[in-house]
Amino acid sequence: MEMVKITLFALALAAVSAYGKDFSLTIGNPVALALPDGVKKKDAGMAVRVENCADVAKAQVTATAEGIVNGARRSVPVRLFAATTPGAFAVSRDWPWEGAWVVYLTGHCGASTASAVVPFGPNGFLRESSKFFPRAATAAEVEAVLKTLSGGAQ
Amino acid sequence: MKMPDEKPPLGPIEPGQLPLVKAPDTIWRSIEAALDKKPEPRRTSLFAAWQWAAASVLVIGAVGAWYATRPELPSWQVSRLEGSAAVDKIKVGEWLQTDGNSRARITVGDIGVVDVEPNTRIRLVAASPSEHRLTLARGEISATVSAPPRLFLVDTPASTAVDLGCAYKIKTDQSGDGILRVTSGWVSLEWKGRESLVPAGANCRTRPGTGPGTPYFDDAPEALQQALSAFDFGKGGEESLGTVLAQARVRDTLSLWHVLSRVEPRDRVRVVDRMVDLVPLPAGVARDKALQLDPATLKSWREELAWKW
Repeated sequence: MEMVKITLFALALAAVSAYGKDFSLTIGNPVALALPDGVKKKDAGMAVRVENCADVAKAQVTATAEGIVNGARRSVPVRLFAATTPGAFAVSRDWPWEGAWVVYLTGHCGASTASAVVPFGPNGFLRESSKFFPRAATAAEVEAVLKTLSGGAQ
Repeated sequence: MKMPDEKPPLGPIEPGQLPLVKAPDTIWRSIEAALDKKPEPRRTSLFAAWQWAAASVLVIGAVGAWYATRPELPSWQVSRLEGSAAVDKIKVGEWLQTDGNSRARITVGDIGVVDVEPNTRIRLVAASPSEHRLTLARGEISATVSAPPRLFLVDTPASTAVDLGCAYKIKTDQSGDGILRVTSGWVSLEWKGRESLVPAGANCRTRPGTGPGTPYFDDAPEALQQALSAFDFGKGGEESLGTVLAQARVRDTLSLWHVLSRVEPRDRVRVVDRMVDLVPLPAGVARDKALQLDPATLKSWREELAWKW
């Protein structure tokens, strides 16, 4: 009986350990994704997946592209396509090529929220300049990354 | 003196020895009748001529019908981007060549476009529903293709670029040396069983007789790029491998993943150790199987590493 208690305790500890980490988002190259038929990696600007989510099948991710084109601030909705692996998505490159753009990703897993602001250069997303948050990023935080990107581009 | 009923002696007959005998009148009548008779039509020869004429008409007609209705060789549309491109389409088997001032765009069926840069020589090899294939003899092209993987292929003197859903540039010089740069999706560069998987943002050199080298990202350290070149094509050996391992960043696990299956077995442990230093071995990837180059294990590892690329 004692052994059973110890085993159950160990299992419970392992489960807490596994899901005790903060819910977060990971970005990557679209080649990391296995996509269903009809969805092309070529059309994806990047890949995103949720981490440390107990019910990954119910995790949700949304995205918008925030940009500055010829000095004008613009916002464009971005489509996400679910990969064959639950919790992973292809981020469609739906924003214009001209101007400076960042993609603001927001993920939800139950009551938890995480976000990422990912700047894009001419050759794709800039991992080193991306910002990750264990909550929804504020508008000021999104603007800060965009300002850095557009300043660097000028 | 000879007697009239005496038989002539055997031997040569002298002139005047044979007696003259008058021919019967019936012979002359038959001869005259034959001379007066009008020549009959030469039925046999005329019939043969008619046959020949008919046969010729039939053959010419058949050839003409085949020519008129023959399936035309598949072709792709060509449009001028700069300079003086003189053709408006390229058929299977034909070459397209640009001069130093010309650029052209080939419309690849309904799956994409290929921009042909100046001083480029390219040939259309196949344009069927199951294969779209070009040969790049020299020069540079940019391909943007939206098609199922492995449908669009470009042969170069040193390797074949196999589209896996992508946009890319590929360049080859007079000696056959080439370089591939992928801007979207990914490309498989292949030669005699040697394969390099090149994702967006990465490059891969290729050499005749060796095939594709190790892919590397645009922003990889210069020392890493040079060491990879020595490792792939310059017999760089131990020294270049040491530099590759020392210079690699997290993102350069793309290069290390390829290097793992190209080093001597004794060096695999060093490569795996460095990869695990940079990115912990993911669940489901067994170290011993990776060292054995188990294909399924390497594939799983690559798919997980790609999240860091």
